[in-house]
Amino acid sequence: MGENIFLNIAAWIRGLLDSIGVPLLANDIIMMIIKASAIIVFISLNVIWLVLMERKICAYIQCRLGPNRVGPKGTLQTVADVIKLLTKEFLIPRTADKVIYLLAPLVVFVPPTLAFAVVPWGDGMAAIDMGIGVFYLIAVTSLSTIIFWMGAWGSSNKYSLVGGMRVVAQMVSYELPLVLAILGVIMITGTLNMSEIVEAQKNIWFIFTQPLAFLIYFIAGVSETNRTPFDLVEAESEIIAGPYTEYSGMGYAMFMLTEYASVLVISIMCTVMFLGGWLAPFGWTFLPSWFWFFLKVYVMIFLFMWIRWTYPRIRVDQLMGFGWKVLVPLSLANIFVTGIGMYIYRAIGW
Amino acid sequence: MFGKGLIKGLQITWNEMLAKKVTVQYPDEQIPLPDRYHGRFELDADKCIACMLCANACPNKVIQIERTRVGKKQYLTKYVMRIEYCMFCGLCVESCNQDALRFTKVFNMNQYFRNKVRLTLVDRPAPREEEAGQAEGEQATGEKKGPAAQKAASARSEAAAGKSPAKEGES
Repeated sequence: MGENIFLNIAAWIRGLLDSIGVPLLANDIIMMIIKASAIIVFISLNVIWLVLMERKICAYIQCRLGPNRVGPKGTLQTVADVIKLLTKEFLIPRTADKVIYLLAPLVVFVPPTLAFAVVPWGDGMAAIDMGIGVFYLIAVTSLSTIIFWMGAWGSSNKYSLVGGMRVVAQMVSYELPLVLAILGVIMITGTLNMSEIVEAQKNIWFIFTQPLAFLIYFIAGVSETNRTPFDLVEAESEIIAGPYTEYSGMGYAMFMLTEYASVLVISIMCTVMFLGGWLAPFGWTFLPSWFWFFLKVYVMIFLFMWIRWTYPRIRVDQLMGFGWKVLVPLSLANIFVTGIGMYIYRAIGW
Repeated sequence: MFGKGLIKGLQITWNEMLAKKVTVQYPDEQIPLPDRYHGRFELDADKCIACMLCANACPNKVIQIERTRVGKKQYLTKYVMRIEYCMFCGLCVESCNQDALRFTKVFNMNQYFRNKVRLTLVDRPAPREEEAGQAEGEQATGEKKGPAAQKAASARSEAAAGKSPAKEGES
């Protein structure tokens, strides 16, 4: 029930365009634009929802009620916040490097948006079913490091600069265990296509065969999205808001949007690589595949938020030490053990 | 075991998340106040004998009393509390021999203008001599003053004491 609802809508639009005599190339372009705008709308709505969810979970963990005045049960709180941010003035510091300063919030949203292109939302529901999907996603998301640095440098503010340096150090260090953790999965499946990786988990999810890789990936993912306990980049109590210090109004909103979009990307990657993507657990296929996909993604996001409101921030030296002395050797060991395991399995002929 | 503390922390926040919330949605619901709450003052003008004990007990000189002599007795005409200087210590309430001055549970005494903060508990003219004499006679037979005057006085004092908190910010 509802399994092919999105595929049917796409096929219907394509058929409609065909029937009114649109040439094939134009048809493809229109379909691509529709898919892209659908993804962007999805991300934006999702961010509005995630901000509310974050505030609600934070409130509940702290024994409060959270926003509950704007709209039914406070559901329109973020909408009101967005309207407020939109109407605020965008300040430019006098000493700022104006081009870089203005460019950073414009382009910061691009890498996470690009990453969504290869995500398989359900069975056969990837916008582009790319053969090197995982590689593409990692390559694109690592671009955001330099954009945070742009914002930090362009602000010409000491707090921004400290935050920017932390962004670069942290994201570069944690990219390594992030990628090495995925490598175990890729060795088993032998493919970089995300849909094929999901298909390979039909019998057993990779969280059970690669638990260490999942843990490393998750920790590195929290760090990549600059969230507590690795939020040294923002660190309100130390350096105000890091690279976002000088930004106001919509510029700040874009950075926030990016943070939540990154959380979504990391959660989606966790789901696809380790939690069996759209596959239903226990053969409960009475619910559509995209439903299972979103359920798993939201469980991962909840985990992110739960961790954020539980742990305190760690120090910079602890962060670096943990990344290079613990996560990297562990992920290398994981690859080694996975390789030996694969060799043994092949030798005994499974 | 390594990482035990991390798990424990997650457990604590999970339990807190499911626990009952402590927020009180103030205008909609209120925490019940204790009986001895120090809120806005209330003066029973009929009990008051204008003895000035409360005014003398006040460490901040909050209470201003005006009284006139009617017949043999002191008659209270004006009882104003400069509530902006009051620290709600309750010494005036303690000192009242006649149990006329009391605390209520009204705590929203906020006003838009400073000159409206002042609390006028009683503001009434003194009765004329013959009325007072009559009243005294009545009092001697166990009755109180002229009923109309009494009603008006109590109504005025009630309005001044703002017994209805709905009129917050008005008056």
